[in-house]
Amino acid sequence: MGKRTDLHKKNLQTIFYPESVAIVGTNKVKGTVPGDIFTNILQAELNGVIYPVNPREKWIGSLKAYKYIVDIPDPVDLAVIVFPSTVCDRALEQCGEKGIKSAIIISAGFREIGEKGLEREEQIKAIAEKWDISFIGPNCLGVINTDPASRLNASFARKFPAEGNIAFLSQSGALCTAVLDYAQARNIGFSKFVSFGNKADISEIDLLYYLMDDEKTKVILLYLEEITDGPSLMRAARDVMEKSHKPVLIMKSGRTSAGASAAASHTGSLAGSDEICDAAFRQAGIIRCDNVEDMFNIAIAFAYQPLPKSEKIAIITNAGGPGVLTTDEAIRQGLKLAEFNEDTTGKFRRSLPTTANISNPIDVIGDARADRYHAAMTGVCQDDNVDGLFVILTPQSMTDIEKIAEEIAKVANESRKPIYTSFMGEADVAAGIKILQKHHIPHYTLPESMCKPYAATLFFNQMIKQKAERPTVFDDVEKGKVQKVVNENLESGKTYLSEFKAKEIIETYGLPVIKSGLTTSEKEAGSVAESIGYPVVMKIMSDDIVHKFDVDGVVLNVRNREEAEKTYTRIISNVQKSMPEAKIDGVYIAKQIENGTEVILGVKRDPAFGPVVMFGLGGIFVEVFKDVSFRVAPIDKESAVNMIKEIKSSKMLLGARGRKNLDIDSIADAIMRLSQLALECPQIAELDINPLIVLEDGQGCFVADTRIILTN
Amino acid sequence: MELSEVKLKVKQVVARVLKTDEADISDDANFIFDLGADSMQSMLLIAAFEEEFDIEMDVEKAQEVQTVGGAVEFIADYL
Repeated sequence: MGKRTDLHKKNLQTIFYPESVAIVGTNKVKGTVPGDIFTNILQAELNGVIYPVNPREKWIGSLKAYKYIVDIPDPVDLAVIVFPSTVCDRALEQCGEKGIKSAIIISAGFREIGEKGLEREEQIKAIAEKWDISFIGPNCLGVINTDPASRLNASFARKFPAEGNIAFLSQSGALCTAVLDYAQARNIGFSKFVSFGNKADISEIDLLYYLMDDEKTKVILLYLEEITDGPSLMRAARDVMEKSHKPVLIMKSGRTSAGASAAASHTGSLAGSDEICDAAFRQAGIIRCDNVEDMFNIAIAFAYQPLPKSEKIAIITNAGGPGVLTTDEAIRQGLKLAEFNEDTTGKFRRSLPTTANISNPIDVIGDARADRYHAAMTGVCQDDNVDGLFVILTPQSMTDIEKIAEEIAKVANESRKPIYTSFMGEADVAAGIKILQKHHIPHYTLPESMCKPYAATLFFNQMIKQKAERPTVFDDVEKGKVQKVVNENLESGKTYLSEFKAKEIIETYGLPVIKSGLTTSEKEAGSVAESIGYPVVMKIMSDDIVHKFDVDGVVLNVRNREEAEKTYTRIISNVQKSMPEAKIDGVYIAKQIENGTEVILGVKRDPAFGPVVMFGLGGIFVEVFKDVSFRVAPIDKESAVNMIKEIKSSKMLLGARGRKNLDIDSIADAIMRLSQLALECPQIAELDINPLIVLEDGQGCFVADTRIILTN
Repeated sequence: MELSEVKLKVKQVVARVLKTDEADISDDANFIFDLGADSMQSMLLIAAFEEEFDIEMDVEKAQEVQTVGGAVEFIADYL
């Protein structure tokens, strides 16, 4: 961690647990931000001293007000600044003079309003740096800490939430107030609640590192509108997961932005920023949520129940239909219905009516009361084949809803398996739901909604157990040589490297390139083809031609010298007709690999996450189905293998329908080498290896064609 | 009008609108940070200056003026 990051971690402790707070720029007017913040801090019964600062008032409420921060006679831990943005610099400067190291700047009127605001933001950042101050904001709702040791409500939210073990961090202040209301209606409490606005100083990454060690927080929720430092966010989430076993759930807006449309390569067009964001989050163990409801559905599963050990679940229901709906969604989410052992089915035969369905999903029948639910739940909880339990209830005339809710709470209290519930309906089941919420049993309005949280908690548990592998750093690469080729091309204004030059680059990074040569005459074509060995592929080589097939510039299956010589002339003539203005470098001849499977590898540089590597099966699979996987560089061996296995058509590579396994290790090696090249050569904007021809297990793979797009 | 006269009148207007003692108003006093003006009072100040000096100011530019001294110079340009 850097110097400012260490400082922020220390100063965040006084932001959340201040013994004294100065509210700078507050006033007596209710219904205004400066006035309401004062009231909120007062009403939350802060465990500390409050100092209102106002240039004109002698008293605010029953508290003595000070003209300036520096007039406060005692030491102050935290300044909450609510002055208009034009004087925040002066207020922060006085904080420095007073020795205050922590601040929350609520005021708007900074970066979000344009150039003038940006200038102000830079000014306050410089002042904070000068005095070693850490601040949250500006342009934010504020900070809430429900811990009784603090009870800080330095915000203009309408309410102070209940205490809980979920921390909520948001870039949007308005979303915060909606979330507080949503959570209150569902009896969900918070440990810390932070609106960090423009994140000019303290960012979500600093907050993640603080919350990693916060004993009151078990789950961290984060709403982001922009990712400014993807790799640091990934590292922080990974650290939080590995060191404290706390999940980070992120709702990231902007899913539909079309960033890939103008890309010049396959990888560029397939790797949209949102797909990369998804992949990066998965790689870091971050759970991505689609909306507020989705986020809290998953959050309560993490916050209230143990993590599941496997995908094997049991469903208990008093209604067939919802059981089937839940089963469908469970399968879609990658879960499995557990097969009960004989002991369990024996117990069910004895305790449930003959009309009940005692296999999974267990249908305890519409007239079931609490005793039947109890028998079913205890039965599956004792069954080693079951690792999670979904309980569904629909309200019939005889259903003792509240008693069943109490029974579920009792069983959940004694069980180490996660139990989720869905009491369907609204008015009739309301009292039962309240009981479940009181006992921290996750409840979902729709039974299908239980599946995604279970899959998310299972994914997280698996990620915790995965030992982070250190990516291999290959030392048989020639970084200097690559840099020289890249610089030479950039200096001469070339940003597109065609096959010949691109192969030279990737070959120096140990990627296996097919035997090949560039020819500039018919005669030379014949002798180069002879030396390579037949069959060969012949292609036009020109920086002006990106799509060689479109100009009849590619001929496959050339099988002897005579054919090679004639093909040379034919290709040149074709291209001269189609694109007379193209500057032709010659005809490129390469060994044609037979019986191989074509895959595609690529690199794209994402503005938020840096270099990203893509893998997919070649041909129609990548063109039409966009069946590809991504990872942010650097990529370790396990991740590289997982990239290959996670595409939908991976069975084609893994010996489907009597085919032999392909050489997965050699693809993984190529992915890792490409990842290293992308990291070590930042001028590579996009790179395609299309195709990489993969042979059977143990026989390797070969780069057949490649292109690179450079950037300054 | 002499600059000293403008300053005197500006301080009188500020003292009246912000209900503060004229003696406490220094030349470099910031309307918000030192004198505690809120956004409504800032608008009232602009209106009061216009009335006092019988001028019509560019409101957007006037809002950027932060200090008493700045206001004196700003108003003097209109006279």
